[in-house]
Amino acid sequence: MNDLSVKIAIAEPSVILRSGLAAALKRIQGIHVQVFEVSTIDLLSNYIRLHKPGVLILNPAYWGIIDLHKLKEECANKELKCFALLSCLTDESIVKQYDEKISIYDTVDQLKDKLDKLFETPVEETTDGTEILSLREKEILTCVVKGQTNKEIAQTLFLSTHTVITHRRNIVRKLEIHSTAGLTIYAIVNKLVEIDEIKKDM
Amino acid sequence: MQNQHKFTARTRMSDLINEDASLLSSISRFGISLGFGDKTVQEACDANNIDCSTFLSVVNFLSEGNVEINETYNNISIESVINYLKNAHTYFLDYKLPSIRTKLLDAVESTAQSSSYKLVFMKFFDEYFDEVRKHMDYEDKTVFPYVLKLLKGERRGKYKISDFEEQHSDVDSKLAELKNILVKYYPSNGINYKLNDVLFDLLWCEKDLSSHNQVEDFFFVPVIEAIEQKIAAKL
Repeated sequence: MNDLSVKIAIAEPSVILRSGLAAALKRIQGIHVQVFEVSTIDLLSNYIRLHKPGVLILNPAYWGIIDLHKLKEECANKELKCFALLSCLTDESIVKQYDEKISIYDTVDQLKDKLDKLFETPVEETTDGTEILSLREKEILTCVVKGQTNKEIAQTLFLSTHTVITHRRNIVRKLEIHSTAGLTIYAIVNKLVEIDEIKKDM
Repeated sequence: MQNQHKFTARTRMSDLINEDASLLSSISRFGISLGFGDKTVQEACDANNIDCSTFLSVVNFLSEGNVEINETYNNISIESVINYLKNAHTYFLDYKLPSIRTKLLDAVESTAQSSSYKLVFMKFFDEYFDEVRKHMDYEDKTVFPYVLKLLKGERRGKYKISDFEEQHSDVDSKLAELKNILVKYYPSNGINYKLNDVLFDLLWCEKDLSSHNQVEDFFFVPVIEAIEQKIAAKL
């Protein structure tokens, strides 16, 4: 399966809370997290601008009230999701500007649910659980490997270009191979094409 | 405030390696060779003319595994880091990747049912190799000279270190793809020691490249940015 991959920044002055949360996040199944710990607030906006994390987990009890809207604007990162890390009772008006709240007593499952909720991806139309290519996908893969463009493939197989693109996306997802050179290896090894048919591109 | 880290100037070099074998490659990239007897980190660095706090910052950064953004990197020697990164480039381009190529060729030739395998695998690998070379050449020829000039207080043109960061693509992900192809789709029969050997090398190289990139992204770039800002403030 293709795991979701998320860059997460944790801004929290306590090393125990910071590293503990990082360890808990790494235990979440199905989401590959890359965690960055930020221990001083001055470096936060610089860091976000440079490394563009998808999620920021911030303890609102420290460093005074941070204007998240301004922060996102400063870092030119409007997509940034912000979680409040709560270690004590906090006034609702401070927390309401956050997308989500994490309590230091949350379980790994609760963390997973909260992340999943933010990154809900629509289920792809053809997901039937199998990672095996359909006949149509094999035909399209063969054309791709032979060096045909989407438009040419559409003409050969009497499909719309849009359909070809959808199929190609599904092929990449199923095989977890992104490059044409990689797909060529797959096609040769599985005898979908003969080397003579693609030699001119080699 | 002094931050607590795993290794200190008084740690013995041999203990450093026993604790974390992956540091072996970092040690040689700093230009320290094996056979250090009972030397401590400080002694080994002094003997090789290496800035000890830079060495410690890099090995602690790599070994602790968690990326922490703080200000403790201000007293490191940028020249040492650049040398370190350059040595790493030489290692990948002139030694490791060619060695993997030879092993891959050997493994594919000894198992493949047809000669076409050789062709497609080598094409994939060579395309990848070119990508890595381009990426590292750019750093050697554009980024590092820019930084060295910056250190001397010269700043010309509009180039910024964040430009580098913007186009810093992940060179380790395509290696992961090759690993994936071998693991999931390679039709081999029986036990294939040679193929396993290539896989071990690929896995190691992928990790090594990704931690190399982390040193660049989270260690090198932020320090340079801070220098740029200091210079800009003076103007």
